[in-house]
Amino acid sequence: MLGFEDCGKLLRLLNGGEENTIEEIEKILGPTQRLIAFAIIYQAYATQQPSSNPFISKLVDAACDDEAEKYERAFVLQLLGSSSVMNSKELLKQSAADYIKNFDLSSHSFPQREHMQQQYCGKTQLEPFKCLFKDNAVKNVLPDPDVPRGCNSNSLEFDAQPGVTSKIGSGNRDETVAGLLSTFSLEGLGPQWIRPTPPRLPVMDAELLWLNPDINHELLWDYGMCADTSRGAAVRDLIAKALKGPLVPVQQEQVLVELANDPKLVYHCGLTPKKLPNDIFAQDLVENNPMIAVEVLIKLVNSPEISEYFTVLVNMEMSLHSMEVVNRLTTTIELPTEFLHTYISNCISACQGIKVYAEQTCETAASSAGRRPAMGHQGPGFETYQLQLLLMSRGLRCWGAHGYLEFGSFHDIFIEVQAFCIEFSRIREAAGLFRLLKTLE
Amino acid sequence: MDSATLSAVVVGEDDNALLVAAGLAKEAAMLFQTGKFVECLKILNQILQKKADDPKVLHNIAVAESFQDGCSDPKRLIKALENIKAKSRGLRSYVSALLICEARRTLRGCQQQWKHAYSQHERSNTAVHASSSVVYSDEFSTSVSMFNIAVIWYHLHEYAKSFSYLDTLYQNIEPIGEGTALRICLLLLDVTLLCRNASRSADVISYMEKFFCVNSLTNQVDNGTAVHHQSLLVSKSTSFPSNSIIPDASHTDSTANTSENSLTRTLSEEALEDESLKLLSALDLSLQNLQRSGIASSNDLHRRIQAEETLSTADLRLKLHLYKVRLLLLTRNLKAAKREVKMAMNIARGKDYHLALYLKSQLEYARGNHRKAIKLLMASSNSTEKGISSSMYYNNLGCIYYSLGKLHTSGVFFSKALNNSSFLRKEKHPKLVTLSQDKSLLITYNCGVHSLACGKAFHAARCFQTASLIFYNRPLLWLRIAECCLMALEKGMIKSNSSASDRSDITVNVIGKGKWRHLTLRNGSALNGISQGKYVGKDNLFTADGRQPDLSLSLAWQCLFNALYLLDSLEANDSVFSSESESREALLSQSTNHKNASLVNSNGEVKEQKSGNNQNASLQNSVLDYEHIRIKENRKMKQVILADLAFVELALGNPLKALSTAKSLLKLPDCSKMHIFLGTMYAAEALCLLNRPKEAAEHLMMYVSGGNNIELPYSREDCEKWTVEKVVDGDEPNRTFSTADESQRCVFPSPEEARGMLCANYAANFALLGNLEQAQHFLTKALSDIPNSSQVIVTAIYVDIKRGSTQDALAKLKQHNGVRFLPGNVTLNDSS
Repeated sequence: MLGFEDCGKLLRLLNGGEENTIEEIEKILGPTQRLIAFAIIYQAYATQQPSSNPFISKLVDAACDDEAEKYERAFVLQLLGSSSVMNSKELLKQSAADYIKNFDLSSHSFPQREHMQQQYCGKTQLEPFKCLFKDNAVKNVLPDPDVPRGCNSNSLEFDAQPGVTSKIGSGNRDETVAGLLSTFSLEGLGPQWIRPTPPRLPVMDAELLWLNPDINHELLWDYGMCADTSRGAAVRDLIAKALKGPLVPVQQEQVLVELANDPKLVYHCGLTPKKLPNDIFAQDLVENNPMIAVEVLIKLVNSPEISEYFTVLVNMEMSLHSMEVVNRLTTTIELPTEFLHTYISNCISACQGIKVYAEQTCETAASSAGRRPAMGHQGPGFETYQLQLLLMSRGLRCWGAHGYLEFGSFHDIFIEVQAFCIEFSRIREAAGLFRLLKTLE
Repeated sequence: MDSATLSAVVVGEDDNALLVAAGLAKEAAMLFQTGKFVECLKILNQILQKKADDPKVLHNIAVAESFQDGCSDPKRLIKALENIKAKSRGLRSYVSALLICEARRTLRGCQQQWKHAYSQHERSNTAVHASSSVVYSDEFSTSVSMFNIAVIWYHLHEYAKSFSYLDTLYQNIEPIGEGTALRICLLLLDVTLLCRNASRSADVISYMEKFFCVNSLTNQVDNGTAVHHQSLLVSKSTSFPSNSIIPDASHTDSTANTSENSLTRTLSEEALEDESLKLLSALDLSLQNLQRSGIASSNDLHRRIQAEETLSTADLRLKLHLYKVRLLLLTRNLKAAKREVKMAMNIARGKDYHLALYLKSQLEYARGNHRKAIKLLMASSNSTEKGISSSMYYNNLGCIYYSLGKLHTSGVFFSKALNNSSFLRKEKHPKLVTLSQDKSLLITYNCGVHSLACGKAFHAARCFQTASLIFYNRPLLWLRIAECCLMALEKGMIKSNSSASDRSDITVNVIGKGKWRHLTLRNGSALNGISQGKYVGKDNLFTADGRQPDLSLSLAWQCLFNALYLLDSLEANDSVFSSESESREALLSQSTNHKNASLVNSNGEVKEQKSGNNQNASLQNSVLDYEHIRIKENRKMKQVILADLAFVELALGNPLKALSTAKSLLKLPDCSKMHIFLGTMYAAEALCLLNRPKEAAEHLMMYVSGGNNIELPYSREDCEKWTVEKVVDGDEPNRTFSTADESQRCVFPSPEEARGMLCANYAANFALLGNLEQAQHFLTKALSDIPNSSQVIVTAIYVDIKRGSTQDALAKLKQHNGVRFLPGNVTLNDSS
C-alpha cells in the first residue's frame, strides 16, 4: 500500500509543470504514466470516502485544469466518479495507452470546479495549517541537463534509444523518475532561516566545587534521659506559688538563686510566653512578685518570644509594680527602642489622665507649705505620677547612655516629653526631667 | 485541686524506680562515651523495661545501635527518630497543656480545659510511664533527636532537609542546653555554607560570637587569658586525670591527627591549657577511643558531660575563624578572607591546621594565584595521603588546572579524585561519617563541567545526572544538562524536526543522466521527512540506573523548565531579600550609630564591642554584596535559560511558545546585547513560522539604520564583558589568563557573523514576503559577512528559482564549496 508520503511524491512529479516561471520545464512523465500516477493516488485511498483522501483537492484541480489534456481530465473525473471499488476496477482494467487511444471527447462533460469541490471535498476537508516557509517553498529539483553546450536539451536526439550506444547527453527517463521518487520530499525548498545556537553559559564563579575537609558531626546522646528534675521541679512549684501571691523573702531568694545558677532554667519552669499566657504573666507575676518578673525577663532577653512579654508590659495598666519592673529593666538590659517609646507615650497619657487631680494637690501643697508635701497626703495618684516622672528621667538617662537620642525617630517623643515637663514644671521631678533633657540636648 | 494534688497525678508514685532508672541512665551514658556500645545497649534495654516507651530511652538506643554496627540504613534511622520525636511531641504538648491549665485553673477555675486535655491524654495513652514520672516539661524536649535527624540528613548530603530541622532548632535555641546548642550552631553553619545561604550563616556566626565566645573577636588569641575569661563553657571540675589524654594519643585511630594534635598540645601549652586539654573537643576525639580509662571515678556526671560536649574556647574561636573564612570565600570578599585566614593560620593546629591550609589554598585559587594554590595544596597533602583527603586534593588540583585552561590535565585529576573516593563506598558497615566524606557526587559534577567543556555531551550529561542526586535544586545543574542536549544537537548526535537547522553543508543528489539529469537539494528537514515528534532519544528524564542518558530536545526542554522554575523561586526570595536588605542596612547604620554613642562614655568593654561590631558589619556587608552578586548571576543565568528555551521550542516546532519565550527574554532587565540579538532572531523566526512575516520584519528592523544599512548587533567588548567577569586580584605576575581557552568555546558568534545572520534572515523574510529585490540586496550583504553559510546559499538559490533564473541557481550551487554531490543510487528494481 502506498503511504501518504509516496503519493505526495507522485503528485510532485505530476505537478512538474506547475511553476510556469521556470522556463525549461519538461514533463518528466509521459502521458500514460501520468494516468497511472493519478490512478495510484486515487487507489491508495479508494477504500475510504473520497473526501478522506488527502489529495482529493489536487485530484479535483487536475480534473478542472483547463490546460491539461482532455483525456487526462476525463480520466480523473471518471476516477472520482467511480463510486465504489468495483467501478474503478472496471475503469482500470484497460491499459492507459488504450484509454488514451479510445478516448472520445464527445462522451465527456466537464463540470464546474465549485461543483466538483462541493461534491468531493466535503466539509471534513479542513484547510491544513499553512506554514509560510512551506507554502512558499519551491520544488527542490533543478533540471540540470547534461548536454553539450549549445544543444537543445528538449530535442529527442538525446533520448536513449534501445540498441544504440548512448552518446553524451543521453539519459534514461525511467531512471530519473525512480531517482526523483526516492529523493523527493514533500517540503521542497524554502528560504533558509539561520537560527544561531545559543552559546553555553560560561563556567560561573565557584561553579567548580572546591572540597575542604569536614568537621565531623556525630550523633548526640540525649543526656536528658531519666534526668534528675527535682531542682527544676522545686523552682517550678515556687513559680506556681508566685503566680498566686507574693512569695516570702526566703522563697524569692531561692528562685532568684536557682535562676542565676542555671541560665537555661527559666525556659524550663513554665515561664516562657508559649507556656505561660501573657495575661497571667502580666497580672499575676508582675503584680505579685515584680522582682522575679524582672529576673525572668532579664534571663529571657535573648529569646525570640521576649517581645510578647514586652508588649504586655507596655500595655498593661500602670501600676507601681509594673513601673518598677520596667524601671529595673531599663537599668540592666537594653530594651528595644520602640518599646521605650511606647512606654513613655503611655506614661504621658496616664499622667494627663491624673493631671487634674495632681494639679489640685500640688497647688494646695505649694500654697500651704511651699514645699513638696509628704507622700501620705497625696494619695495613690500622685505617687504613681511621681514615680512615672522618676522613671522617665531614668529611662532618658539610660537612652542617653545608649545613644538613642541620636535617632530621628526619638525626636518626636523628645519634644513631647519636653512639653510635658514644661506643663508640669511646678513639680520637682518634672523640673529635674527637664534639666536632664537640656543636658541631653 | 491545687498544685500539690496535681503533682501527685503527674509525679510518679514510685520514686524508687525513678532513682534506679536515673542511675542506670548515668551508667549508660558513660558506657556510650567510652565506646562500649554493646554494654550500653544492655543497660538501655534494662531501663526500657522499667520505662517502656520512654522516647528518650528509645532515642538513645537508636543512637547507640547506629554506633555499634555502622549506619547501614540511615533513612530507617531517620524514620525511627522521627517516630520518637513525634512521641515526645505528644507528651510535651500534653504536659504543657497541663501546665497552662494548672495556671489558669488555680486562677480562673478553668477546669473544663484541663479535663479536656487530660482525657485526650488518657485516650492516647502513650505516656503513662512518662507522665507518672515527670513534671519537667523539658523532659520531652526533642532538640537532641531533631539535631540527630539533621545530622543524618547532612551526612546524606541532603542539606535542604537538614537545614529545615536545624532552622527550627535555631529559631528557638535559647532553651536548649549549651552543648547541644553549640553543636546545632556548628552543623547549621556547615549546612548554610553548603546551601550557599550566606546571610543565615552570617547570623549564626554572630550569634555564636555573642554567646559562645564573647570577646574573642578582636585580636589574635592569647590562650591563657582567653581560657580564663571563658567561664561560660569551661567547666572547671573535670573528672579526668590530667593525663588521661595520653592513652588516646597512642591509640591507633587514624581518622584525624588526633595524636599529633594532643601531643603538640601537651608539649607546647601544658601549663596554660591544662583545662582545655581535658576539654579537647568531642569533635576531635573520635568516639571510638576504646581504651580510654579512668572515668569511673566521676560522680558529677552532668558536668563531665558538659565538658565532653563543649569545645575549648580556643578551639571554638579557631573554628569560627575558619567558618568565617568559608563564608567570606563564599561571598567572594577575598580581602577580608585573606585577613581572616591569616588569623586562623596563626592559631591553627592539627586537624584544623589542615583545614586552614585547604582554605588558604582555596583563597589563592579564588584570587587567581594558581601556583600558590597548588603549593599550599601540596603542603597540606604531605601529612595525610589517604583516600578521602587525596580525593579532595586531586579534585582541587583539577579545579585549579581547569581555570588555568588546561582541560586535559584537569580531567586527569578529576578522574583520579573520583577513583580515590570510590573505595569509600565499598566499606561494609558504612559509618555516617563515611557517607558525608564520600564526595564523589561533588567531584562528578566537576567532571561534568569538564566533559562539557571538552565537548563530550553524553559523558557530561551522565555526570550531571549522577550529581543531580545532590544538586537537584540548583537551576544551574539543569541548565547544564540542557546544554549537553544542545551540544549533542549541534554535533548532529540528536536531531531536530523543524525547518531550520545548522547543517554546515548542502547535500545535493544527482539524479538521472544526460538530458534527464536533475539535482535535488536536500535541506535539514527533508531528511527527517514528516516524522513529527520523533527524536533520537526517548522523552523521559533519564533514570538513575546509570545507563546512557537519552539526550533529546524534549529532555532539554524539561531541564530548562526545571531551571526556570527553580530560578523563579529563587528570584521570589531575592525580592523578599532586597526589601529585607534595606532594613538590614538600616539596622547596620543603627548599630554603627549605637557604637559611636557608646564610644562617648567609653570604657574597656565598649571598645571590644565596637571592634566586634566592625567585624560583624564587614561580614554583613559582604553578605549584602554577595546577595547582589547572586542576583546578578541569576539574571545572567536567566538570560541563557530563556535563550536556550526559545531555541529548543523552535527546534521542537512550537513557534508560539518560542515567541513568548523570546519575548520574555527581550523583556528582561539588563539583558545583554547578545541575548537581545538572539531573542530577536528567535522571535522573528517564530513569527515567520506563525505566518506573521510582517511582524518578524518589525523585529529585525531594529538593527536597520539609515536606509538599508545594518548595524553590528553587539560589539566585541560586549562579548568580553559577558564572558570574563571574574574579579582577579592575584599577585602572581605571570598568571596565564585563566578563561582564555575556555572562553573561545562558549562565546557568541562574532559581531560580524551575527550581522551576517541578521542579513540572511532579513533576506529570507523578504523572500517570504515576495520582495525578491530586497531579499537579493540583503543576501549580498549576508554573503559578504558569512560567505560560507549554506543557509545563505540556499536562500539565494531559492530567490533565483523564484525569479525563474534556474541557471543562476545552478551556477551558485556549483560554485559553493560546501556542496556535496551524491549520486542518486536508486535502481528501478528497488521499488518493487
